[in-house]
Amino acid sequence: MLIPPEALIDGCMRTLLEAVLPDVGSRFARGQLYAVADVLQNLRDRIEPKRAPLEEEARSAGEALARVAAVLGEAGRADLAAAVRDAAAAAPEAPPAERAEALERAVVEAFAQISALPAERAEPARRALAAHLAQQALREVALLKASLLTEISKG
Amino acid sequence: MSGEERRVSGEERRASGEERRASASLEDRLAAFLAARLGADAVRVLAFERSTEGFSQETFRFDVEVACGKQRETKSYVAKREPVAGLLEPYDLEPEFRVLHALSQDPLPSPPTPFFERDPAVLDRPFYVMECLPGEVPVPAPKPDGSGPLDDAERKALAPQVASALARLHAIDWKAAGLGFLGAPGPGRGAAEREVERWAARIRAAALPTPPVLAEAVLWLRENLPACDEITLVHGDFRIGNWLIERAGERSRLTGLLDWEMVHLGDPLEDLAWCSCLLWRASGPNAGCLVPPDELAALYAVASGRTVDAARVAFYEVLALVKMSAIMLTGIRAFRDGRTTDLRMAIFDHQIGFLMAGLAMMRGHFAAIGG
Repeated sequence: MLIPPEALIDGCMRTLLEAVLPDVGSRFARGQLYAVADVLQNLRDRIEPKRAPLEEEARSAGEALARVAAVLGEAGRADLAAAVRDAAAAAPEAPPAERAEALERAVVEAFAQISALPAERAEPARRALAAHLAQQALREVALLKASLLTEISKG
Repeated sequence: MSGEERRVSGEERRASGEERRASASLEDRLAAFLAARLGADAVRVLAFERSTEGFSQETFRFDVEVACGKQRETKSYVAKREPVAGLLEPYDLEPEFRVLHALSQDPLPSPPTPFFERDPAVLDRPFYVMECLPGEVPVPAPKPDGSGPLDDAERKALAPQVASALARLHAIDWKAAGLGFLGAPGPGRGAAEREVERWAARIRAAALPTPPVLAEAVLWLRENLPACDEITLVHGDFRIGNWLIERAGERSRLTGLLDWEMVHLGDPLEDLAWCSCLLWRASGPNAGCLVPPDELAALYAVASGRTVDAARVAFYEVLALVKMSAIMLTGIRAFRDGRTTDLRMAIFDHQIGFLMAGLAMMRGHFAAIGG
């Protein structure tokens, strides 16, 4: 690929918004639309999700789970602590998307595990999981671009 | 009516040849259907256009010219049709039609809705036809300068009308109106439980990885079901974006309540929470882009004579974001399966990130990082 995927996608955006949209019924615009479709169909088998955000998500989830396991252990629930550790350890090392997804599933299970503790004993574990969820939400939002929903709704 | 007789709108002339052929066919069949229902000598469907508003059902706006003897009359209508796939699948338009039809004579500004048809020979899929009410639908999004979609005079005029309309909706005697078919929930926590499980089931049906923020919120909802001693009709999607408004400064009027596809029987505060929640504030502080949430709750309390329980509203505000998540996941699933060509379903794949951040905020997770 001589043009990086980011540049191709930016180019498609520019074409759609600046060349197609202002004159959407013209033959030239229709031709440009086909060109966008052609770029996309050839991009399909050349790209994969970026690793860094997925690795960061997995690291964050893994740390939260380790904290939960520690709290459960300190509370005398070695069985639940082991279940949390086992779920984290069962996450595949790769690919990054599958690892992050498996660890997030373990986070969901951990919420259910800590509900077995009295509220005050569960609090440090709940806080660790909440911190992960908050930080992950911020990481996700940081990647998002300004929404075009208004334009999409108005047509 | 033949294709040659049909008048073609400007929008259609700009449409591609394929779109023109498809819509021509729909128009002709719609005209024949309406001629039979209206008992007219001849019916022409004019200015037929698919609307861009509404993310779920397909919406078509059109004018109908009716000829009876020497008299001709033109009236505007809207048809709502089941999509092949969409946000609230599986679809059944009949309950919504029966509610709208039953409310056609009520002072509530719901669109008079005379016709429903299941026969696929007419418009390929089930649809209903309602009268077009005056006004426009402001989009719940900030303007480029960051202000909300309504100006101060409009907000001041509309807030009491919205509260009164909601109170009127909840005052409808649903048993007397023949709406018991919607199914009343059980007493006590039954209404809240039914809604939580309704949307949890949709999340499961989407069969996509459940974001942990969402899973935690569902757990919290199940552990904190509020009791409700009164079951009313619940619109289910009562919010800016479904309010038809005639904009005229301090004389602005609420002229219509649209999109009844999530109508059900339940806790009336569910509607108040839905329209007050983060989703419809256009990044501002105001419930439904109108007034602060406490103020809207106070207006509703006066109009309805109910006490607004803040804890119950807070519960239903969390449910509101869970419900929207379920809707988005359903749309993502439909797109991922290739069952819809509507690219708006695909944008939910990134929009859901905003939703999860909102849910994390409402559940207090940001406190754990000092936020």
